[in-house]
Amino acid sequence: MGSVPAPDDALVSELRSILGPDGLRVDSAERALVARDASVFDRGRSGPVCFPRSADQVRAVVLAAVRHGRAVVPRGAGTGLAGGAVPLGAPVVVALTRMNRILEVDVGARVAWVEPGVVNLDLTRHLRPLGFHFAPDPSSQQACTIGGNVANNSGGPHCLAYGVTTSHVLAVEVVLPDGEVALLGGLDPEPVGYDLRGAFVGGEGTLGIATRIAVRITPDPKAVRTLLLAFDSTVDAAETVGAVIAAGIVPAALEVMDRRITEAVERYVHAGYPTDAAAVLLAEVDGAPGEVGTGAERIADIGRAHGAVSVRVAADDTERAALWKGRKTAFGAVAQIAPNYYLHDTVVPRHALAEVLEEVYAIAARHDLVVVNVFHAGDGNLHPLLVFDRREPGIMERVLAAGSEIVSASLAAGGALSGEHGIGVEKRDYMPLMFGPDDLDHQNRLRRAFDPDCRANPGKVLPVGHSCADIQALERVPTGVWG
Amino acid sequence: MNLGLGDGLHSCVQCGLCLPHCPTWRVTGDESFSPRGRIALMRAVQEGGAPVTDDVADSWDTCVLCRGCETACPSGVPFGELMEQTRDTLAAAGRITPLWERAALRCLAHPGLLRAGTRVAAVAQRVGLVPRRLGLPRLPLRPEPMRASGSDVWLFTGCVMDAWQRDVHLATQRVLEAAGYGVRPTGDRAPCCGALHRHAGLVGETRSLAERMVEALSGDAPVLVDSAGCGAAIESYGRLLGTPEAEALSARTYDVQEWLAANLERLPRIEADARLHERVAVQDPCHLRHVQRAHQATRVVLAPYVDELVELDDEGLCCGAGGAYSMLHPDLAGAVRERKLAAIGRAAPDVVASANPGCSMHLAAAGVRVAHPMSLVWEALSATR
Repeated sequence: MGSVPAPDDALVSELRSILGPDGLRVDSAERALVARDASVFDRGRSGPVCFPRSADQVRAVVLAAVRHGRAVVPRGAGTGLAGGAVPLGAPVVVALTRMNRILEVDVGARVAWVEPGVVNLDLTRHLRPLGFHFAPDPSSQQACTIGGNVANNSGGPHCLAYGVTTSHVLAVEVVLPDGEVALLGGLDPEPVGYDLRGAFVGGEGTLGIATRIAVRITPDPKAVRTLLLAFDSTVDAAETVGAVIAAGIVPAALEVMDRRITEAVERYVHAGYPTDAAAVLLAEVDGAPGEVGTGAERIADIGRAHGAVSVRVAADDTERAALWKGRKTAFGAVAQIAPNYYLHDTVVPRHALAEVLEEVYAIAARHDLVVVNVFHAGDGNLHPLLVFDRREPGIMERVLAAGSEIVSASLAAGGALSGEHGIGVEKRDYMPLMFGPDDLDHQNRLRRAFDPDCRANPGKVLPVGHSCADIQALERVPTGVWG
Repeated sequence: MNLGLGDGLHSCVQCGLCLPHCPTWRVTGDESFSPRGRIALMRAVQEGGAPVTDDVADSWDTCVLCRGCETACPSGVPFGELMEQTRDTLAAAGRITPLWERAALRCLAHPGLLRAGTRVAAVAQRVGLVPRRLGLPRLPLRPEPMRASGSDVWLFTGCVMDAWQRDVHLATQRVLEAAGYGVRPTGDRAPCCGALHRHAGLVGETRSLAERMVEALSGDAPVLVDSAGCGAAIESYGRLLGTPEAEALSARTYDVQEWLAANLERLPRIEADARLHERVAVQDPCHLRHVQRAHQATRVVLAPYVDELVELDDEGLCCGAGGAYSMLHPDLAGAVRERKLAAIGRAAPDVVASANPGCSMHLAAAGVRVAHPMSLVWEALSATR
């Protein structure tokens, strides 16, 4: 630490006095590392990197940044897929990973208070002996933090039945962009006044930094049945999904993976995924012991009627866990195909799933690219991954062009830009495809109400032309041996 | 700097799923101390021409090489290979592994020297000159000699473990004999497996130790190992040396629990009430769980001989021992151990079973009662004889 000239001596020494020598890094290697998340976007620039251990320290860091006119970008585990945590213009980065305590669990009230750096799956593991879990289960749940889930209003396979993160956050203590501390929401079922908690969840760090979160905890289901259906075509799988929902069944999860991604995950998990099927549908029903059997049978019947070539019911928890491990590690497994991916997150109406999927494959073929599809079929949330090797000259342009066409095709089918990964910087410039100038203007006003000076994660969510979209601090980018 | 890294560098998509499985990320929350960060730095140095600053060297040097990230990686990034190769390059350039450390490692290949040093330490221990926190077991002044009882299997005895934990080797030998195997301890003919040298980036010395092993342990007899770290090292000789003899040695090397689990019917059965009346928590050494991937065998072998087996709930996260790591990076190793101690506390065992000498000493230094699985099995078997 400290081998590199500090980018901003006065700010750095102030931050160091707040955080201690162990709580701050300014070396250029560290700054280069936190300039990335799990997305393909690689033009971030980080300033000093802070590791606060308390809400007081977060507040002091924000106040110091305000005094020095610097922006602040919060960061969790850096598993985001839209560049939300990527710092633009060398802001102060606040890594919340050391604020990782589970503060209180109240089973009676079904509430847990946690710090933002608690890893999603760690909370569920902690609750397991009590018979509870935290329902939002993003595929990255073994690594991602609850603060990040709040920022992105994250979803996950089981959000089909249980709802996304905002349905599971009761209150958030936040440090606002001017350093003021506020408690948004509350434990009352109907908090008085406007739902500012609702505005904050999904704010992607543009409205402040959460320092304490009250989450709803969910009782574990009495019984669970997991099925794996194999199909000869992706379209059959997509149509089965539509038919299941149309039949009035609300499964806990409905996930589709196409052949290429299934092959890759099977090589890792050895869960017995059929690698010769064009697509597999992972379906789960939960509830009372009597009803899950019936639900599973109905899904199996609907699947067979739509051309399922095989139906397998997981025999026990070990088999279930292996199947889910496969689904949840799918993105990470793509390096078996190529070292980079560009991922979209569009949502389309379920009746249009099959048609949009075919269009996605056609777009990739036109650009001579590999696309794999793994998605939350039940709620029409597509995750087409363009898989490529960025060392190949000119490929990035093709990838971006194909990505843009995929977004347009989804929106043309009546869909939405993002299901659960957020807008961040990667999807920011697609916002005008979905929202008119008035819509964007109102979103901009909401943001400015929280952050009049554009200090909180500037350059994210709202496209250029709206405030907080232009990065002011570029001329202050620190230089070090790592640039 | 060309780190000499191959295509494995491009099998990482930077998804970050490895982070929670990395002990140093767990205790720092810092990307520089994560597998993803370490790989990104390798890329930046090898391909982007970035310099190896002290911070970069520190990021690589603080990796425990537990390889927990490898079992967590859906894309199968060969992280251990990448890190070993990186350290080889840095050590050759004199950036890591100072001279005193190299000298200390050299001693490991000289059993006479090691025994003499151990005798001095044993005396010092008895007059109270060795602090307990170092975690040394009670060293023998005059260790019981090991004698061959046949030649069905080799029992690899190694360097420090033979000098400091001879009792574990003796228990292992007796358990194997109870299963009907004639055991030949490897002794001074194969003094050290080279695992610690490999961690330190001393690839030349690792190679010559490996060659010595291959020559000394020729033949077809399986080589059984009661140290998870050594077993993993010997199983990598094929890759390291690339000779048919080395590959054959790697292929016939087994962790002793793995071997016995596959031959369980040969072990004497005992009555349920003759089992050890202990609640035993299994601690999986990383090189058994993440490298050899043979950790389930420990449970299979222990189960018939103890009242109760319990699991730790930390998904096999490293304890921070890491060969010599706990001595080289005591602060990080201590912080990592705190997590393991908390997991042990939740499981509330009477004793923790660990199949690796480094882990057992590191945990014992924090006051945990630790025993090798073979010691527990032998305790149960000998009580009924």
